[in-house]
Amino acid sequence: MAKNQKNKQNSNSAVEVQNVTKNYIIRHQKSPSLKDRLLKGRDTFEEFLAVDDVSFAVEHSETFGIIGSNGSGKSTLLKLIAKVLRPTSGEVIVNGTVSALLELGAGFHQDLTGRENIYLNASILGMKKKEINKKFNDIVEFSELARFIDMPVKSYSSGMYMRLGFSIAVNVNPDILLVDEVLAVGDQAFQSKCYKVIYDFVRRGKTIIIVSHDLETISDLCKRVIFLKNGKIELMGDSIQVVSKYRAHVEELERVRIAEQQKAERKKIFKSIIDSKRKVVDAEEIEKLSRIDGGVFENRFGSGDAEITKIELLDPSGGILDFCKFGDDVQVAFDVKFNNIVENPIFGIRITDHRNNIIYGTNNRLHNVKTGVYKPGDVLKVIFRQKINLIGGTYYVSPSVGNKDTKTYATGSLI
Amino acid sequence: MIKQFRDLISYRELLFSLTKKELKVKYRGSFLGFFWSLLNPVLIMLVYSFVFSIVLRQGIKEFEVFLLCALLPFNFFSNSVNYGAGSIISNANLVKKIYFPKEIIPLSIVLSNLINFLLELLILFVVLSIFRYKFYTYIYLLPVIIIVQVFFVSGISLLVSSLNVLFRDLQHLVSILMMVWFFGTPIIYPLSMVPERFQFIMQINPMAVFATFYRNIFYYVKYPEGFQWPSLWIILICLGITFGVFFLGYFVFKKIEPRFAEEV
Repeated sequence: MAKNQKNKQNSNSAVEVQNVTKNYIIRHQKSPSLKDRLLKGRDTFEEFLAVDDVSFAVEHSETFGIIGSNGSGKSTLLKLIAKVLRPTSGEVIVNGTVSALLELGAGFHQDLTGRENIYLNASILGMKKKEINKKFNDIVEFSELARFIDMPVKSYSSGMYMRLGFSIAVNVNPDILLVDEVLAVGDQAFQSKCYKVIYDFVRRGKTIIIVSHDLETISDLCKRVIFLKNGKIELMGDSIQVVSKYRAHVEELERVRIAEQQKAERKKIFKSIIDSKRKVVDAEEIEKLSRIDGGVFENRFGSGDAEITKIELLDPSGGILDFCKFGDDVQVAFDVKFNNIVENPIFGIRITDHRNNIIYGTNNRLHNVKTGVYKPGDVLKVIFRQKINLIGGTYYVSPSVGNKDTKTYATGSLI
Repeated sequence: MIKQFRDLISYRELLFSLTKKELKVKYRGSFLGFFWSLLNPVLIMLVYSFVFSIVLRQGIKEFEVFLLCALLPFNFFSNSVNYGAGSIISNANLVKKIYFPKEIIPLSIVLSNLINFLLELLILFVVLSIFRYKFYTYIYLLPVIIIVQVFFVSGISLLVSSLNVLFRDLQHLVSILMMVWFFGTPIIYPLSMVPERFQFIMQINPMAVFATFYRNIFYYVKYPEGFQWPSLWIILICLGITFGVFFLGYFVFKKIEPRFAEEV
């Protein structure tokens, strides 16, 4: 816990980061030793700009989010605010006591019991002995480790270890709480308890700076968010906007990555075909090739009598959506091209989660909508209006065309 | 520097709980606990007594007591520095993750060794009483000497522990240095035995001055022929070096401290 380091008369911010740059020196020699210093002079080294001229201010009672991909400087920035690291240039001004949840159970001693570690860890985090005495029962109760509290922590499972660490850290009761991706602790019940504590902090008007990859939590908790990219602030502002920009950025990266991967994969298959000088390409390879074809559409199969050419997620007025929130009304629209005569086809959608569990499915037959007869060459746009009653996460929407004997003509999926 | 001291004082509770941790961890799981730390000086005492009073026949009366009253303070010094040297590196998890004045780490090791030393002194008192030493005659000087020695030990510990982060070889060098220092301090021999031309080593070595004081208080009260206070001049030099080392150590430590999180 950092005591008031500097108090600017005119500053009302809880945390002020002014033109902060952090330059890491990466030595090529891992352990510096006297011999090397004497024989070689200086080590060779590289510089790595982890945080590059970043400025922002966090107001009192504000919940502030930091997002960005791995290596973008989020954690370094948080460590700079916690004063674990010092900036190469620039200044960090903190008004208030800080507790940093950078790593749970940092400083636990394996041979000491849970009880002893509570006292040790809490005092490392800046609590006085009297306060710890008062909070001790709360900490034990929150951690759900009452039975094990007099056992050395080396006998704890990693989950127990983290739970104890979290319980201590949130009971320090700081003015400013720094959270680095440590909310995913324990089972569902404990996790929801952790979130409750964080929401409690928000309600009590504490300042929270949170680093997370969990974008739902970030956009839910924070009013303002910064999006870091290569150590620079790419975007700062309203959380919904910044998060959606970040999502688009990640998706773009993912698309590029998948495209690269597919290209490499295809090259490999073709190379093996060419190398083996075969005239006949076997079915497995064709299937593989077809599977890695086409970015968004995956897992297509069917007889080919009908073909789904496009699928979109739209808002009620017809604008394309990248994501939607709980309770939103959306439209799932897809284009169907017929290659054969099909009578009264059934159009359906199915929503599955990332583990392929079917969450929801519907089709026009369930709603008694007749669809008519289609000839080869006909193109049809099918729209399902749907209210989204899903908890946060990634879901796949699969449209399908079939008839009553459940023959599938075509299907595909949209992330 | 005053601000840094104030910061340190506001973290005194952490200093105490880390000291407690050091002591607890050291003896956790061992049956004899604290008595292990007594075993070391007792063993050294037995070995040296055999060599000096039986093999070499030095003629120092009650050599065991003669040795112990200088050996215990020296052990306090050498243990603190030996453990302290690698303390920043071995506490990397704390140094990297949590903000607090890092000098607390080596200082907690000095403090835990001090507590050990005080307990050893209590046992020495029992031995002295049995052999009818009037060690209580000058006992009022003892706290002063101990406090001055704590400053000296802290200074060296701070210096070595911080420099060791940048030069890892230091840790190994320190244990050799401590052995040299042991023989350069009147522990197994009386100060009077040192030839005139080497007396200056005894004068600029604060540990030698401390050893002389401890020995006067505990041992020479029974054998006054060796009893001699160091001159005021020597005491002043000793104080100067002690506090010089302390402030140098603190200064160097604070200079290197910002780099700890990246270097460990």
